[in-house]
Amino acid sequence: MTDNKTSKEQKYDRQLRLWGDHGQETLENAHVCLINATATGTEILKNLVLPGIGVFTLVDGHKVSGEDVGNNFFLTSSSIGKNRAQAATELLQELNSDVSGNFVEESPDKLLDNSPEFFHRFSLVIGVQLPESTYLRLGSVLWEAGVPFLICRTYGLIGYMRLIVKEHTVVESHPDNALEDLRLDQPFTELKHHVESYDLDNMEKKDHSHTPWIIVVAKYLEKWYSEHNSQLPKNYKEKEAFRKLIREGILTNENGTPEDEENFEEAIKNVNTALNPTKVPSATEDIFNAEQCENITSQSPSFWVIAHGVRDFVRNEGNGKLPVRGTIPDMIADSDKFIKLQNVYRDKAMKDAAVVSKHVEALLQSVGKPPESTSEQEIKLFCKNAAFLRVVRCRSLAEEYSADTFNKDEITSCMDSTDSEMVLYLMLRSVDRFYQQHSRYPGVYNYQVEEDINKLKLCVNSLLQEYSLNVNVKDDYIHEFCRYGAAEPHTVAAFLGGSAAQEAIKIITHQFVPFNNTFLYNAMSQTSATFQL
Amino acid sequence: MHLRVGLRKELADSLSSCRVLVVGAGGIGCELLKNLVLTGFKNIEVIDLDTIDVSNLNRQFLFQKKHVGKSKAQVAKESVLRFCPSANITAYHDSIMNPDYNVEFFRNFQLVMNALDNRAARNHVNRMCLAADIPLIESGTAGYLGQVTVIKKGQTECYECQPKPTQKTFPGCTIRNTPSEPIHCIVWAKYLFNQLFGEEDADQEVSPDTADPEVAWNPADAAARATASNKDGDIKRVSTKEWARSTGYDPVKLFNKLFKDDIMYLLTMDKLWKKRKAPLPLDWTEIHQLGEEAFGTGLKDQQVLGVQGYAQLFHRSVETLRSQLIEKGEGAELVWDKDDPPAMDFVTAAANLRMNVFSMNMKSRFDVKSMAGNIIPAIATTNAVIAGLIVLEALKTLNSDFDQCRTIFLNKQPNPRKKLLVPCALDPPNPNCYVCASKPEVTVKLNVHKTIVQALQDKILKEKFGMVAPDVQIEDGKGTILISSEEGETEANNNKFLSDFGIRNGSRLQADDFLQDYTLLVNLIHSEELEKDVEFEVVGDAPDKAPAPSVPEEGKNIANGNKDSAQPSTSSKAAEDDDVLIVDSDEEPSSSTMEASPESSNRKRKHHDADTDATASKRKRLDQQPADDDEDIIALD
Repeated sequence: MTDNKTSKEQKYDRQLRLWGDHGQETLENAHVCLINATATGTEILKNLVLPGIGVFTLVDGHKVSGEDVGNNFFLTSSSIGKNRAQAATELLQELNSDVSGNFVEESPDKLLDNSPEFFHRFSLVIGVQLPESTYLRLGSVLWEAGVPFLICRTYGLIGYMRLIVKEHTVVESHPDNALEDLRLDQPFTELKHHVESYDLDNMEKKDHSHTPWIIVVAKYLEKWYSEHNSQLPKNYKEKEAFRKLIREGILTNENGTPEDEENFEEAIKNVNTALNPTKVPSATEDIFNAEQCENITSQSPSFWVIAHGVRDFVRNEGNGKLPVRGTIPDMIADSDKFIKLQNVYRDKAMKDAAVVSKHVEALLQSVGKPPESTSEQEIKLFCKNAAFLRVVRCRSLAEEYSADTFNKDEITSCMDSTDSEMVLYLMLRSVDRFYQQHSRYPGVYNYQVEEDINKLKLCVNSLLQEYSLNVNVKDDYIHEFCRYGAAEPHTVAAFLGGSAAQEAIKIITHQFVPFNNTFLYNAMSQTSATFQL
Repeated sequence: MHLRVGLRKELADSLSSCRVLVVGAGGIGCELLKNLVLTGFKNIEVIDLDTIDVSNLNRQFLFQKKHVGKSKAQVAKESVLRFCPSANITAYHDSIMNPDYNVEFFRNFQLVMNALDNRAARNHVNRMCLAADIPLIESGTAGYLGQVTVIKKGQTECYECQPKPTQKTFPGCTIRNTPSEPIHCIVWAKYLFNQLFGEEDADQEVSPDTADPEVAWNPADAAARATASNKDGDIKRVSTKEWARSTGYDPVKLFNKLFKDDIMYLLTMDKLWKKRKAPLPLDWTEIHQLGEEAFGTGLKDQQVLGVQGYAQLFHRSVETLRSQLIEKGEGAELVWDKDDPPAMDFVTAAANLRMNVFSMNMKSRFDVKSMAGNIIPAIATTNAVIAGLIVLEALKTLNSDFDQCRTIFLNKQPNPRKKLLVPCALDPPNPNCYVCASKPEVTVKLNVHKTIVQALQDKILKEKFGMVAPDVQIEDGKGTILISSEEGETEANNNKFLSDFGIRNGSRLQADDFLQDYTLLVNLIHSEELEKDVEFEVVGDAPDKAPAPSVPEEGKNIANGNKDSAQPSTSSKAAEDDDVLIVDSDEEPSSSTMEASPESSNRKRKHHDADTDATASKRKRLDQQPADDDEDIIALD
């Protein structure tokens, strides 16, 4: 068992550095359904099997064709004629013995006819190269069941992804440039006492230059307050003056030249961010005000239960502030002083989290759930990330397709520039319309390309008309899409396979923020865009 | 049948006759081989000197557990052939820098694609492709970030057109006497490993350095030092390894020498401690009388132990390594590898004990490993995306559509302008490039009385200017040969100073690399005023500085492969795979702004500067949030 754990740690070392062991654990507990083992499909699955998802189920009613073998690494000529789900599963399994793979030799339409609840069991369903009618049906089943759905499509030199998830909560969004949570503007009692235990004016030189910069800033802030009506330095000028005040505190030698005190330099450098007023970020505020946070029931996911607990904390014990994060940056200081300071923050964070726990417990009790339904660890992680919480809500496919609710503004404003990636979206909708009418995609047979161009043009026009879109789709795109003949070139599939698996991992681990909700890639120009449709 | 789309028929046909070279069969290399074969390329050669490690398996999908230890190139070839038997693949388990792969070899190909992890090899392939006039596609990934670019002689910037700062190394006396950051202790611990168990290297001394320029030599101090060092009687300044052997690698004796006696010796150099906090020696017996608690939770790797814990770990790992050494027989040496548990334990323990001695906050094994191994996180998804982009650029390149080719940056998530990919037009060659200009020339500032020929060869010509086997003659009218690449011819010169050959301010040297078909004219400026620990300066080089604060930190990241970054790697095994030049840019530079605006070209230069700072910022990042967000370890400090 421990052996297995160590070998996994070794195998997954490079990715544990991105999402941690708890992210890995969620990944290993996930069950992903992938529909259609085309080149794009198997590339996505490959990129999920390698990092070690728990289980996958491949759904595919097709038989392996010669064309499949030509662009799909996980199908060989010996598998021609076999069921595609089975053939691909065999080879994909070889990639990672820790992953278990299942296959269902049936088309998604059949499954939807016979037992739509088949799809309820998955952590995520990825539909690849599906006809419009199928993904619309499947989309509504999964929307009702609350199962996230990722549609992926390689169409010639175009890549397309659409994420459909009613509500996706992210505790660890891993923001870039997160500010530290130091509370220097509103120090908590323990921090105040700790700062008081320092007396910069009566200190050995060595101790003076090994005092953490946080203490230095706190000390000079007191001094500043006494001279400035207890107001923080706000604008640039005041901050400069404050920096000067700190600089004056640097010890000088016999000759009056300042000593080299790196901790003071650090303090000066950090003034700007350290004095950032402590407040609840608006995204977190929105979460507190959300209906899901307001009305906790026994069915509420733990994210909302804890969010409510944190909100109670902010509105009561926290006096309008989030629980203390409890971490401080590395700084110049001796170990002893650093650890003491670190412990002040850490202890306060633990105390705050414990108060949140009490609120959560009471809340759970009030809706008749046992207190152990959320773990201590979960609450701590939540408190630590309280400033970075995110909720992603995608629009449903029904909303995107309905003439009443489609996002007309986004489409028209993007189409002001005729080469916006939005035109690719309109073209994909048009080829779907073509398929609906002709039961095949345009340009799949070389001899029909010319006449298909006219037919596709009609589809484009009828689409624009139906949605009353007054936009210009250049003929070039219509020709281009006919020329694609719905082919699935491997290198585009490989690109999309990487991108889609990346989003799938975000959804599964609830770490990092997934795109919302449509992604388009143009392999010719190597450009991409995301739209909210 | 599969790629008729988007390709003109002639191009599609030409793929089957075209020959391409893939340099590197790691994360990007595996994906790339697959993509090439399935795009219709038939004749592919692949070269990699590395062997397969367990930690490759989370992304290098052509390899399985049973392949661990085997040649990457060979296994990659076999795996691809299993799926696509019709491909014609040649594999070389070798270094691309081997002279066998000369300009003639490169001329066999229509296109070269790099899937490398280190700057030395990238520089070299860049020069070989320039010399052979073969287009090159350069690429790299780090965590969620990635980049692809196209290099074509005379039409685009070459890999070396934008000056990159010299790699950050730490002065010997910082490592040996006055460490101030955890990384210094980790480098010291890696040196120590080699000194004790591996190949001894005079540049990797770990004992106190009495020649520290900060310590003014004074006979009275010297006497005090002598007493301190001989207090134990048997501790003489013999080689560390010899001494360790003589004690039979006794862990307790080693501990007391390294963390007590050597530290006490350092304390006698009291000048060092006037402004610094003095180190606190550790005594094996004393620390075992203290009770202590462990910090940190979660995985064992992520815990920070106490002094006692690390002392125990030190003890255990020395014993394990000692028996490994005995098992290997007389004269055997161990090779440090971050993925070898006892070697990693040893470095974790020794580094942390030294951090404690120098009053630093100790680090978990996980963090030490990141820093010691220059680990850049790596996942399948990013490599897949990048390899997909490479092939598309390859197709345009083979079609000679250089106008259509792009440098593409892959972001972690769609940027504020909602772009996941940021394509930029290729820049024209830098006329002052010291590699691809028609008559490359550089100016180097150094002290001719203090610089020896060996340093000119190793540190300036090889390390800084990327030559593999330079020949150097002085342009003194006589054509005096200073350095010859023929073995034995000029070795007698190695330890002489440049001034011994009449080299002075204004002297010019002509350096040739026959293999790279590359000649560089070096103008020397004599200077007595170089900064401490700086042996030479390239005049006009971008200063090795972090960007101005107005540049948002997140946008400007570059990693250049972990073997390129901060500290010297003592691992002889290739450290990591697939990483280059990464820019995660929020802005979308257009070709015109790239060319016209001095500001944006400035910014670009800053990208390049960033890569040496990897380790420093990593330290800070890792400390804040243990294991979960170091994809931006390459962020600027």
